[in-house]
Amino acid sequence: MAKGTGTETIIAHGVRLDGDLVAEGDLIIEGEVHGTVKTQGDLRIGEQALVEADIEAGNALVSGAIRGNILVRGKLELLPSSSMTGDVVTDVLAIGPGAQMNGCISMGADATPKGKKRVAETPEE
Amino acid sequence: MYCYVYDEALQDRRFERELAQIETRLTDLGIAGKIARLALFRDANELIRDEIRGGVTTVVAVGNDMTLRRVLDAVGERKTVVALLPIGPQGAMTELLGMPTGVAACDVLSARIIESLDVGEVNGKRFLQSVHIEERADFVVDHGTYTTTPQRKASVEVRNFAAPDDAGMQSPIDERLSLILRVPKFSLFSKKASIGIVPFSTLRISYETNVTALVDGERLNGKDFVFRVIPNALRVVTGKTRKF
Repeated sequence: MAKGTGTETIIAHGVRLDGDLVAEGDLIIEGEVHGTVKTQGDLRIGEQALVEADIEAGNALVSGAIRGNILVRGKLELLPSSSMTGDVVTDVLAIGPGAQMNGCISMGADATPKGKKRVAETPEE
Repeated sequence: MYCYVYDEALQDRRFERELAQIETRLTDLGIAGKIARLALFRDANELIRDEIRGGVTTVVAVGNDMTLRRVLDAVGERKTVVALLPIGPQGAMTELLGMPTGVAACDVLSARIIESLDVGEVNGKRFLQSVHIEERADFVVDHGTYTTTPQRKASVEVRNFAAPDDAGMQSPIDERLSLILRVPKFSLFSKKASIGIVPFSTLRISYETNVTALVDGERLNGKDFVFRVIPNALRVVTGKTRKF
């Protein structure tokens, strides 16, 4: 359970968010998010979280499920309980043993997003 | 010019000696002023507004949180400086503002460290501390670019300034209010809550049926609540030990 420090946004477990979230500081997601997520700060996605969104963050620590593309300017860390379906653009990447990663990875200064389309919107073949 | 608004509870004889000591100390410090006494059947707003029209620049609530609340209601949008001189049983504001109780508060008043605090507003009603709404599952929070809905019963608190608790500490000078959603989590051994916190400037909470919100302890009924922050709206005398 995340405790507020007065400078961060926390989406609690048991809460659903729909739309475009732009956080002013650090962001912690423990519930469900559908739409887009942006923060200049750090992003933490909890183990019980479900994020169906395109994400932009400074750094990210993921232990839940993401379905969407993610752009992290600093470090992206996928913990063992995480599940990522979508493209990743980041400077530094750490994938823990057991983490699920399905998508394209672009890294370093030359990295470019592979496209803005969310995986959830891709028509099934 | 100072005006001291005495809470009606201070008419009790047990406060007589302490009040006399305070009045003496205020005179020694050169900040004595008019005394206005709140009474059950007297309109506090009219009383205080008359004093402000008469040239009072600082209104001191002598009593506790509720006394301060009544002074704030009366001062409204005016830029009059407000202060709390705590006497008797206290709420959270005494510690948050860094005001000692009794005679010691006179010296803090005299030092006149003034901070401009944000004030919250819900459906046109101002609040300094927080608004609480009971646990419900039938509401939608509209933040403008996104909405949040609970997947089960959750209580709502919109906070400007309150004592630190499980939701941490929110600053009353950050030009933001905080939406705090508490979703209970049940286990065999304990009842905890998952806590969400979202800073905002304006938002709307809509319920399917009427609910009662407690706005700094006062009831407000309705289905739709529109919140906004009024930055730097209240000038308050604070002590060095204030909690922000």
